[in-house]
Amino acid sequence: MQVSGLLGMCALSSCGLLEFSPNQTLVPAAERQLTTQNLIRLTSRPKQESDTLRFVFIGDCQRFYDEAEDFVASVNQQRKIDFVIIAGDISDFGLVREMRWIHHRLRKLNVPYLTVIGNHDEVGNGRAVYESVFGPLNYSFVYGGTKFICLDTNGREYGFQGQVPDLGWLGKQLADTANTRRSIVLCHVPPTDEDFDPNLVQPYARTIRSSRQLVFHLSGHIHRFTNGQPFHDSVQYLTAYNFRKRHYNILSVWGRRKFNLETVAYAPAL
Amino acid sequence: MRTYSLIISFLLFCLSGHAQVTEPSRQPWYVPEHAVLQTAGGIGMIAGGVGYALGAHRRFDADVLIGYVPGTYTGDRAFGIFTLKGTYSPFTLPVDTHWQIKPLAIGALINYTPSQMLNRSRDDKYSYKNYYWWGSTVRLGAFLGGRVGYGFNTRTGRKRVASAYYELGTNDLYFVSLLTNTKGLALGQILTLGLGVKVDF
Repeated sequence: MQVSGLLGMCALSSCGLLEFSPNQTLVPAAERQLTTQNLIRLTSRPKQESDTLRFVFIGDCQRFYDEAEDFVASVNQQRKIDFVIIAGDISDFGLVREMRWIHHRLRKLNVPYLTVIGNHDEVGNGRAVYESVFGPLNYSFVYGGTKFICLDTNGREYGFQGQVPDLGWLGKQLADTANTRRSIVLCHVPPTDEDFDPNLVQPYARTIRSSRQLVFHLSGHIHRFTNGQPFHDSVQYLTAYNFRKRHYNILSVWGRRKFNLETVAYAPAL
Repeated sequence: MRTYSLIISFLLFCLSGHAQVTEPSRQPWYVPEHAVLQTAGGIGMIAGGVGYALGAHRRFDADVLIGYVPGTYTGDRAFGIFTLKGTYSPFTLPVDTHWQIKPLAIGALINYTPSQMLNRSRDDKYSYKNYYWWGSTVRLGAFLGGRVGYGFNTRTGRKRVASAYYELGTNDLYFVSLLTNTKGLALGQILTLGLGVKVDF
């Protein structure tokens, strides 16, 4: 009886109106573990290692719902896109409703989308919400012979305790190159930013540098596109436009470490 | 000592005499007038509390509630939510001798969720000013609602009302989201619904 009551409550709250706390984590089953769901969609369309991988790169959709709809319309007009990457800050306040609002727009994309957690997603109960809606804060996947390593670099949210980013995990992921030809690292706060744990900047850059097959390092947070080698070690670090800028990049990756960068502007729908 | 006993006896006599002449329903001002139980509305899966009806026509309710959100809904440990709520109901429409409707209620609330699970946003973590301008544990809310009441007399002859209410509202962070997204968000998407009952003591 108690279980059925709970389920009834759950069904009612799935329409969103009956909310027990804005910080609650529970979402309808269809909106849980979206990282896994999107990876299943992605791998259902397998890609050869020799094919060019092409994906959209953008970040920081936090509280830009007007722009999100225009972004989806624009990406859906692109051809031969494999998936979309959102470089963190899905939400502004770390609330479940915000992550669902974004998902309700991004699920209209013709291709799967993948995310990494941003500092704003860690405010309040955000970490638990992100784990419920999207999945693990650190994860990796392989597609088209390319290993994507996505990790939490929001060190300031942990008080710079030296634990985030998890360099041990990152090192292992970079070292494990079985059945892959290329690697790409995705995070939110770039190591050049003051919100990155200052004691871990150099060790992090060293770990990244240790990879022999890294194409580039991707992040968001600073709300503008940059492309450079800040550590002068031949490692390319890119940062993404945020949704507000109404621009995104399309990254094409092929060969061992070759890549091409396109910039697309998207206008407000009339 | 004897004098002291006499004074006490006299005070007791006065008090009992006073009690006899007063209306039996009259309580000291600090004794709450009604109990309240609510679900949802952002203040708990179940929230219970007490309150007062204030003003000459008792149109203003002030309630204090403690809410509970079980761990199933929080991802880990349960939340306790402490809420102060004010509700103004300007009209009362009597239906018959027992039933009455308050078609409009306008209210505001503030609540505090002192959970260790909530990563605080105002720890001066970020050097730039007002980067996190809101508090993750304190929410402000506003709502519109209505209430249906049933009046009855107790065996002691005191008049009591039991009522059921609904509140359609939102909180500060949802409202700010709507303000900056006039096209991308609809009012319906930021609403929360609270349902509750109030019973006079």
